[in-house]
Amino acid sequence: MSIALELPTRRNEAWKYSDLRQAVGAERHVLRDGRDIIERLAPGTQRSVIASGETRLFVERMDDDCHMDARSFEFVLEPGASLTRVVVQTGKDLPLSVARVRLGARAKYTQFVLAFGGRLARLETHVSVEGEDAEVTLNGAYLAGRGQHADLTSTINHQARGATTRQLIKGVARKGGRGVFQGKIVVERAAQKTDARQHHRGLLLEDGAEIFAKPELMIHADDVQCAHGNTAGGLDEQALFYMRARGIPTSQARSLLIEAFLAETIPASLPEDLQDELTGMIRAWLAEARS
Amino acid sequence: MFDVTGLHVAVGGAEIIKGLSLSVPAGETHAIMGPNGSGKSTLSYALSGRDGYEVTAGSATLNGSDLLALEPEERAAAGLFLSFQYPVEIPGLSAIAFLKAAINAQRKSRGQEPMPAPKLLQLMRAKAETLKIDQEMLKRPLNVGFSGGEKKRFEALQLAVLEPKFAILDETDSGLDIDALKIVAASVNAARAPDRGLLVITHYQRLLDYIKPDRVHVLAKGRIIASGGPELALELERDGYDKYVRAA
Repeated sequence: MSIALELPTRRNEAWKYSDLRQAVGAERHVLRDGRDIIERLAPGTQRSVIASGETRLFVERMDDDCHMDARSFEFVLEPGASLTRVVVQTGKDLPLSVARVRLGARAKYTQFVLAFGGRLARLETHVSVEGEDAEVTLNGAYLAGRGQHADLTSTINHQARGATTRQLIKGVARKGGRGVFQGKIVVERAAQKTDARQHHRGLLLEDGAEIFAKPELMIHADDVQCAHGNTAGGLDEQALFYMRARGIPTSQARSLLIEAFLAETIPASLPEDLQDELTGMIRAWLAEARS
Repeated sequence: MFDVTGLHVAVGGAEIIKGLSLSVPAGETHAIMGPNGSGKSTLSYALSGRDGYEVTAGSATLNGSDLLALEPEERAAAGLFLSFQYPVEIPGLSAIAFLKAAINAQRKSRGQEPMPAPKLLQLMRAKAETLKIDQEMLKRPLNVGFSGGEKKRFEALQLAVLEPKFAILDETDSGLDIDALKIVAASVNAARAPDRGLLVITHYQRLLDYIKPDRVHVLAKGRIIASGGPELALELERDGYDKYVRAA
């Protein structure tokens, strides 16, 4: 249900003289396409400014199993600042998150989202490359079990020249699970010498699993390098046989292959103990899926 | 040790192996030579249990146990090893992690405890060194971005570490330059043991200069049509397969 319909009108006794729906509707047209819905559901937007030359690591854990968990962030990276953001979504109800990230010159933003899905989990990231020679890594992995919905949505808008952008998103879905990837990369006319690559790979683990992918590349500059790829399929049967021929039973071989498949998205620049923790969570999910 | 009798194998409904019989006693190394399309790779895949390679008749046993009744992983645990002609790339899984999983899965199915990690690492490193495999490569995803020669060296490493009872080497020489060939052959020769058998499948005689077989068999049109000593390989190199293919 759209929040617009939830907003009180004059028909609500307590808002009898203040028609919020009309006021908001008139003022904020974007409401209609949901572009800022998570911001509005969140109790407020947390704003962080990373100063020039600073290096920060944020780890967010979205683990509320019972309630809507809506969060809104704004990150401003000043020239030369570096931010690594890791989001681990395990909460099973309505984890909703939006982050708007603005990058100054030579700023470096690395993000990794690990989403296990929920009744409806949606993690949005919108990056604006505003300064020259910025570096963006926007990786993620989703694991949608039965009845779980995991949505990774992002836009990366290049407005300044010389950015290097890497996006690797991978996901798996089981029967009755749904994974979503929407990724838009925009290269504005001013953003010459942009080098942007986006890849999404989905793995359907069983019949009845669903993966929806909508990769978009919009290029308005002529001196750029951009590549994108999008695939969805099953496990590599050749690799499976190779492993079995070395004595690894099918179910273990499958788990190892899926773990390796997903773990590839974890940025190597993350602290090793964090990498191990994330890999461990993937392994635990696979072990549970196996039983 | 390794006995195949009257084996028939069909792929996609077409019969490729048509009544093949072969016996390799313990401690011996046999070679199967054959022209392209004679069924060499089909034989190795069928013996290791790959899906789509349907055994329609015949038997294959290793030390008396019926291989054809076993899943591929059970065949491996029973001591069968296939060195792949085209080793498969496994992105995201290091050679170390792969070998560890393979060794411990085999040990588990034999009722043994997992090998302690330090011992396993030591074993891998030692074997890698004799194969002139860089230690750093053990940490890289298995076979990903490896050259043809490196892949074959990793197959030889797996053979050395897994210590199977019987190994089938499918076109181990393809993709190897002469130096790498000597290194791999030395490693294979080091694996020869009184209780182990080897079956070397190859198109060319060259490999057999370095891995000397006790017996040579000629495979043509899905059957063994001639067998002999090492001199048979030399004759094939000199005269070609024509005589045998026409007779088959």
